[in-house]
Amino acid sequence: MKQELKPSARDSLLTFADDVAHQGVAVRAEAAEPERHLVIFSLDREEFGIPIARAREIVRVPEITRVPQAPPHIRGVMNLRGRILPVVEIRTRFGLERAELTSRSRVVVVEAHGRMVGILVDVVSQVVKIGESAIVPPPDEVVSQRADYVSNVARVGPRLIILIELDKALLLENVSTPAPLIS
Amino acid sequence: MNDDAGNPFAELLEEYVAECAPLAQAVGDTLVTLERRWEEGDPADQLFGTLKGSLHTLKGNSAMLGLTAIQALAHCMEDVCAFLGERPDLRPAASGLLLRGAGVLVEMVGRAARGPLSADRSEHFISEAREFIQAESVGTETSAPYPERRRFERRTGSEVGELGSDGVVSTIRVDARRLDGLLETFGETMIAGLGLREAVRDLAIRHRGAGFTDLEHALTSLEKTLKRLEGALMATRLVSIATVFGRFNLLVREVANAHEKRVGLVTSGGETQLDKTVIDRLGEPLVHLVTNAIIHGLESPAERERSGKPSEATVTLSAVQRSDRVILTVTDDGRGLDPERILHKARQLGAVAADATPSREEVFAMAFLPGLSTTERVSALAGRGVGLDVVANSIRTLGGSIEVASEPGKGTKFTMSLPLTLAVLRSLLVAVDGERYALPLGDVAESLRVTNEAIHEIDGHGMMLWRGQVIPVSDAAEVLGGSARASRNYCVVVRSGARRRGMLVDGLLGHQDVVVKALDPSLGRPPTISGATILGDGRVACILDTARFAELRATEASTATLS
Repeated sequence: MKQELKPSARDSLLTFADDVAHQGVAVRAEAAEPERHLVIFSLDREEFGIPIARAREIVRVPEITRVPQAPPHIRGVMNLRGRILPVVEIRTRFGLERAELTSRSRVVVVEAHGRMVGILVDVVSQVVKIGESAIVPPPDEVVSQRADYVSNVARVGPRLIILIELDKALLLENVSTPAPLIS
Repeated sequence: MNDDAGNPFAELLEEYVAECAPLAQAVGDTLVTLERRWEEGDPADQLFGTLKGSLHTLKGNSAMLGLTAIQALAHCMEDVCAFLGERPDLRPAASGLLLRGAGVLVEMVGRAARGPLSADRSEHFISEAREFIQAESVGTETSAPYPERRRFERRTGSEVGELGSDGVVSTIRVDARRLDGLLETFGETMIAGLGLREAVRDLAIRHRGAGFTDLEHALTSLEKTLKRLEGALMATRLVSIATVFGRFNLLVREVANAHEKRVGLVTSGGETQLDKTVIDRLGEPLVHLVTNAIIHGLESPAERERSGKPSEATVTLSAVQRSDRVILTVTDDGRGLDPERILHKARQLGAVAADATPSREEVFAMAFLPGLSTTERVSALAGRGVGLDVVANSIRTLGGSIEVASEPGKGTKFTMSLPLTLAVLRSLLVAVDGERYALPLGDVAESLRVTNEAIHEIDGHGMMLWRGQVIPVSDAAEVLGGSARASRNYCVVVRSGARRRGMLVDGLLGHQDVVVKALDPSLGRPPTISGATILGDGRVACILDTARFAELRATEASTATLS
């Protein structure tokens, strides 16, 4: 698939892709190549992508309540229509400063292991479909032990989008056992 | 039967378990009593008849659902009973066998709704029972080794009548998940009501109180109705604690036999009711306490006689309601806790300074420290390495507290205080460091205004005089990981058992009923927070674990982080 498309051309392509998706297997077989549907958000100057299937909704930042003694990557908890969700300060997870909230800040609500978790991001830029051929593994030198949440890198024109592995990025795998009062 | 979509057979199985699990339990309980009566030489024919009736019904119900393994087991137990009917002399000898069967029965019935059953244990029992009958039949006129005179009969209507209804109270069985759903919806309604109240207050302030009387009245009446609805809803969720106590007869006997102890179980207050959520999670900590008491707390019959005690030990389970809490106790008349040993171990663990001289009460409280009560010995039944810290943790997650008192040589008593319900919490809202926190009202002894002069400090630890008593004081903001400040205007005295601790806060925001929600596990279970709630303005507030706060030790209270 060509990478550099005018916005209008890209939109019509997306529409086409949607149509293809709706028409089922027979037509899909003719589609050029498999694609990934991603939500793109930014933290500082970098762009990150997560599979759209994992994102439940994107909301303006509500009041976030601090939880004493919570892990450092947790900003607090929020109320989403009567449910209390943890809000992950993903910037600190990625080695960045804590976020300054702006009018463009958003919480991306994702589902992980049947639970809902909010991710605080600077800006949600777009929802895109990216062909598999544009997705490559990150250079070995970049993926350190600490950055094990980077699964791939996608090229969209001149832009590089870092695809992240949510469970690792959100530290959901090591749900801790209760901390003893006296250790 | 039930109009839920889904596998109709699965629902039948659930109904089966709901009906038959108590019946299987009753078989065990009856046998425990029979065993004793038979040993005393009382044939107890009437009770024996009840036992046979229960077995018969179990057999019938199991057959209807094709649970052949359970059917065969109940049938075999019936056969043993029939055999004992003719040979009353063998009854005392056979009670142990029947009790083993009852144990298998309880377990299999309980698991029936959770997938296919393995017949290993039931078959083992059946062959054991056949051997028993065969061995005892030798030399008697009964030629058939396995008397099969009774055929399987379908259970009749009259039996159902005997079992279930007394014809007066009409009850329906409701899926517990529906009740949970109802409670959740009620919680949302309550939060919406709180929001409405705040909106009306704002409106009245903005319009200087003009013309909102009707609205206020309507809202007040809505709030009263909600309160009644809450009461009614909670009442539907209450389950008597006898359902938990019920399983202990068999357990006590089994554990006592395995450890060569003689133990009688006494229960009281079984009619006390608690919310289903609390009941469901209470069994495990109680089982740990009771097994621990038998294995580690009670002496052998010989040892007891030597010290002038009755050779049969007594374990008592009791429950009693005190306003909106239920007090549960597990008492044994065994050797009691050894304060010296606890203190020694606590010193080894570094939980207490080598030169400290804690009071006896403080020493007993240390029994709940992680790693302290786990004995080196591992026994098949209790010694799964489960220490008292685990028990204390499960009680705390239920919003309860636990204490232990003990008299060397006389026995040990664990006292637990539990909330009647977990869903709605009467709370005091306080402001700390720009956040609001809800404190369970039941743990608040008093809230008062204080001046800086009232707080005294020794080596960084605060204290104050309260009702003629010197109590420790900590700055809530500091404990909650914020910054300490020179002056805070209000103090909330929180309690846990006999302990009191003052908590300095920025402001008191009034009483409020809040709907308790659990915190997501990714928040790492902060030690002083027990849950969260949504306030009227839609913001989340954390619920403080006041009991935990009251129990803070000096070193922890003065540091910002607890773990």
